[in-house]
Amino acid sequence: MKSIERTWKLNGTATTLRFPAGRRLLDLLREDLALTGAKEGCGEGECGACTVLIDNDPAVSCLIPAGQLPDGTTLLTIEGVEKKRAGRVLQKAFMETGAVQCGFCIPGMVLAAYALLQRNPKPSTAAIRTALAGNLCRCTGYVKIIAAVKLAAARLRKTSSTPG
Amino acid sequence: MSPPMNFDLLNIRFPKTLDEAVAFQADERTRGRLLAGGTDLMVQWAAGAPPPQRLISIWGLPELSAIRVSKEMVEIGAGVTHAFLRDCTDIRAHVPALVAAAASVGATQIQARGTLGGNAANASPAGDTAPALLVTDGMVMLASAQRFRTVPLTAFWTGYRQTAAQPDEIIAAFLLPKKGRSVERFRKIGTRKAQAISKIMAASRIRLHGGTIESAAIALGSVAATPIRLGKVEAFLAGKKLSRRLVEEAEALAQASVAPIADIRSSAEYRRWTAGRLVRDALENLQ
Amino acid sequence: MKTKSRCNPTRHIGTGMLRVDAADKVRGKTQYLNDRTYPGALHATVVRSPTARGILKSLTLDPAYDWKGVTVATAEDIPGENVMVMHDRSMPLMGAVGAELRYRGEPVAVVAAATAEKSMEAADHVRLDIEQRPALLTLAEAIALFKKSPKKLELLKTQNIEKGDIRRGFAEADEVLEAEYWAGHQEQLYLENQGLIVFPRKDGSIYVEGSIQCPYFPVNELNAALDLPPEKIRVKQTPIGGAFGGKEDYPSMLAGYAALPALKAKKPVKITYERHEDMLFTPKRHPVWVRFKTGFKKDGTLTAIECDYILDGGAYLTISDVVMYRGILHCALAYRCENVLIRGKVARTNSMPNGAFRGFGAPQAIWGLESHIDAIAEKVGKRPDAYRLQIHARPGDRTPTGQLLTEDNGSTHCLDLVLQRSDFAEKFKQASRGKLRKGQNKYYGIGLSFFAHGSAFTGDGEAKFKAKGRVELALLEDGRPGVNIRVSSTEMGQGVHTIFTQIAADGLSLTPERIRFPYADTGMAPNSGPTVASRTTMVVGNVVYRAAQDLRNQIEAFASRRYFKGAAARMRHSKLHAKGFRALPFLRVARDMREELGEVNGAFQFILPDTVQWDQSRFKGDSYPGYSWSANVAEVEIDPLTLELTVTRVFDVIDIGRVINPMTATGQVEGGLTQALGYAVMEKMGTGKNGLFDASRLQTYIVPTALDVPNYDVKFVEYPYPFAPPGAKGLGELPMDGLAPAIANAIETAIGVRLRSLPITPEDLFNAVIPPA
Repeated sequence: MKSIERTWKLNGTATTLRFPAGRRLLDLLREDLALTGAKEGCGEGECGACTVLIDNDPAVSCLIPAGQLPDGTTLLTIEGVEKKRAGRVLQKAFMETGAVQCGFCIPGMVLAAYALLQRNPKPSTAAIRTALAGNLCRCTGYVKIIAAVKLAAARLRKTSSTPG
Repeated sequence: MSPPMNFDLLNIRFPKTLDEAVAFQADERTRGRLLAGGTDLMVQWAAGAPPPQRLISIWGLPELSAIRVSKEMVEIGAGVTHAFLRDCTDIRAHVPALVAAAASVGATQIQARGTLGGNAANASPAGDTAPALLVTDGMVMLASAQRFRTVPLTAFWTGYRQTAAQPDEIIAAFLLPKKGRSVERFRKIGTRKAQAISKIMAASRIRLHGGTIESAAIALGSVAATPIRLGKVEAFLAGKKLSRRLVEEAEALAQASVAPIADIRSSAEYRRWTAGRLVRDALENLQ
Repeated sequence: MKTKSRCNPTRHIGTGMLRVDAADKVRGKTQYLNDRTYPGALHATVVRSPTARGILKSLTLDPAYDWKGVTVATAEDIPGENVMVMHDRSMPLMGAVGAELRYRGEPVAVVAAATAEKSMEAADHVRLDIEQRPALLTLAEAIALFKKSPKKLELLKTQNIEKGDIRRGFAEADEVLEAEYWAGHQEQLYLENQGLIVFPRKDGSIYVEGSIQCPYFPVNELNAALDLPPEKIRVKQTPIGGAFGGKEDYPSMLAGYAALPALKAKKPVKITYERHEDMLFTPKRHPVWVRFKTGFKKDGTLTAIECDYILDGGAYLTISDVVMYRGILHCALAYRCENVLIRGKVARTNSMPNGAFRGFGAPQAIWGLESHIDAIAEKVGKRPDAYRLQIHARPGDRTPTGQLLTEDNGSTHCLDLVLQRSDFAEKFKQASRGKLRKGQNKYYGIGLSFFAHGSAFTGDGEAKFKAKGRVELALLEDGRPGVNIRVSSTEMGQGVHTIFTQIAADGLSLTPERIRFPYADTGMAPNSGPTVASRTTMVVGNVVYRAAQDLRNQIEAFASRRYFKGAAARMRHSKLHAKGFRALPFLRVARDMREELGEVNGAFQFILPDTVQWDQSRFKGDSYPGYSWSANVAEVEIDPLTLELTVTRVFDVIDIGRVINPMTATGQVEGGLTQALGYAVMEKMGTGKNGLFDASRLQTYIVPTALDVPNYDVKFVEYPYPFAPPGAKGLGELPMDGLAPAIANAIETAIGVRLRSLPITPEDLFNAVIPPA
């Protein structure tokens, strides 16, 4: 196994790492960097609990050999989301609407929702459902999670023209 | 349980250009399995399939990332992601079934990494984009160190998880004739409304003129070892006046011309029946 | 119905107080088991039977393999008896050489090494020699056998319920209707897989922590096998990423597996499953076959309900007897009928023992009954809503075990309100019945279900168990005084940390900011029972409330003596008041009190009035301390082109007694309904010839996504439980109970065909309505 070096903008900070090229991004985050907010629920890209944002796109970090992310890639994990205003607004909305139960899916949900609001500040219910469809939740039935995203979107529209 | 896949052991090369990539593939000693977004391969390895000795990552190669729209054609680079296709407004009018198919892949996370070329190379009969590609009567462009060559999409999937690409070739692009006045339709029946592998899916490109079907291209996924065109149904429809009876006959003909299997997602009988139903759906939505 | 509250009107009970655990969870800070590091721990892999049934002739270690650093534990390493106690002591902890192995995946050894990878590799080098025996893999095979010759079926448990005279009931009937209903396995699919770690201590005791729903279960389960007294087994929950019953019975087994190499190697041993192993080898909801034979008058009056209810227990009984009891107690619960005969059975198959899953036998019973009630309604020419209004049980009626339903049962209210909110009568007219009506491009259907769910342990379980709990004065993490709630109830997402904080706040009249609920730990909290059976808020909530009041009394007595010259003191809003004195803040009083008295605890032990009587041997009397009620309406659309089914709207009106927190309660209902939706139309798990589940990955086991859930309309009506203030009744399991039959009833009105097997997929609709080509 050959180690490679990559420099990414991880949660806003330029970060240089050495790792075996095939190492799953999820393992790199959780084990090498102790960023354990991304969870492993299935290891095959079905549950979305390991979702992180790669250049603003939600992706399942369990299916990505970390070496595939070139230098300069922007990575956002749940640990970095609260540095963003839209992230904080989303987190607060999740708390206030009762969108959190066991919490295992929530980091991935918040990131998927964050990516949605970046692209679409005024999402319809259908757009929210579609954006969250890759994140399984077994506790909530999604109702309050969808409500949280709506609430956050409304608050962000009220106070600023561009989330972030 | 067998030991889990140790992804750290994957041997991946990262060519920076298509030239570098085809050079790796030209030599048996450096040749590797091509890895694009990983949304199929990584899952297979996680589930216990042994990974190949060498991998060549073609994710992000600039030559594979472009979409070009010309007068007659849409050219889509093999590295274009489903998310890009889904959101790309330039091509929606020309290959709408493909855009709909891309939007039906997995969910946003998989769409962001999965590529059109990867979906085609994976050659699963349930590949979501294959039927929509098939009905365009387009070509796939294959690159090797020596040359580029094109293969008709209808000749590309040669068997279960087999394609016409040679070991030294990389899928570079898809050359898809625009639909023009034809009507396209895509419909997937999945196990649920997102994050689903299809039970069956259909794409069609049909041209109607004055109530007569001038041409029909209809393709199905998940009913055979490869995605297939319904040649018999297409031939039957060509030149005929659209009528309720014609729709019924086409539906029955479609059902008679497929021999699907049962698996964990659906039964052979349901697939056979819906093969006809989806042909009906295509013919009933031509306006 | 009034609940006794000593003085202060409630301030937090009944409000939507925000969850106390949400801030950490939305930030990704909550540390689940696999987020923690355990330096020096070994990782273990379970070696399993490769066959569904056979005799283990030998177990040997591959001599060519390098076993250095690897600990292998087998049945021979069990310090005590090779048994999981469970309910009948029939299941071994480890399959032993010479013994019969009864299911594919039955553990025969545990291999521990420095890494999970190494332990899995080593596990592949454990050689098993097994003499194959013929296996019975599925309930379908078992029922086929039962129908041919009932005596041939191997039963792990039987139990009947009898009321009146069933023969007379059928003699009085004008008509008889008989039908069978099936449902398959259902996987809990908590998003966090099973896992725990066992630490051996120098004094011979063990400490276990992990994703454990019922910390006291391993304590009592493992003392036989490990030959350790309960006080030498300490168990603590880590934050649980969902459980739904799946982490009720199973972690005891897992703790046993991990304990063997831990004791042998004298090192901590961790086992965590990956999804595939978790799906293949942990308990599921029991498959069921239920046959109803009912007699009724022309006007629909039920004169006889006869029912056979057979669960697939799997290879060993484990806890299936109690699942079956709950099942049969719900087979005829919600309707008036004087003559009832229910025969419950747990059949043995060569499959993974089935276990707890939200609803615990009741969903299977209600699935059959509520489908059957609709079929009777049709037979007597009544609308399903009108028919249920006519025959449903209400206060003054007696249940099949003879229990009198008292005024705290909101059955009629639930039914009335759900019909009103869903506009059922009007929409029922629009149902397609197999033919598209004008303006419809999809078949439309609407269906109803109605049911009760017994709260808490069956029978006099709670009266005998006497749940214990404490509320203790403590210094919090900021160094200032507050209180800790010490009960063994676990937070697994349902919100108990929040609602017990509310309850303690009102019991004490103390701000919730000074209240903590540390994760359940048998070393710190008395046994308030497992977090199961929709008992926690009703029973343990009462214990917390009373313990908080007890602590408050002590604080008031202390304040009266210390500061108020004997004048009566009252704690209100975090202050101690006495007439003629300046109010003192709780913080000061609590600090002084701890300094003077040391440990200060409020405590309570749950009691039920002795009017609650239960005869376990005859299954007669008060089968549950109280009942929650619910009525569901489901609306469905079926695409005539493909027979794809969409559940578009669901209404649930539900009497759970006093609602402690409307927000968390609604969240429970929406989540439970979504699991029930999956049970009804998606979640399918077959068994292959090799004895393995065919859907054993998330790619193949299909649960609802955000795009699959309907719009929910959830409404509570409150008929508080009179004997346990603040008056909550069971909630958690209710939303799992009745949606599947409401959907099946809706499907029947949409296409005119009744489907009798769950889940109902488009393929099933196709088989039902499209004649073979």
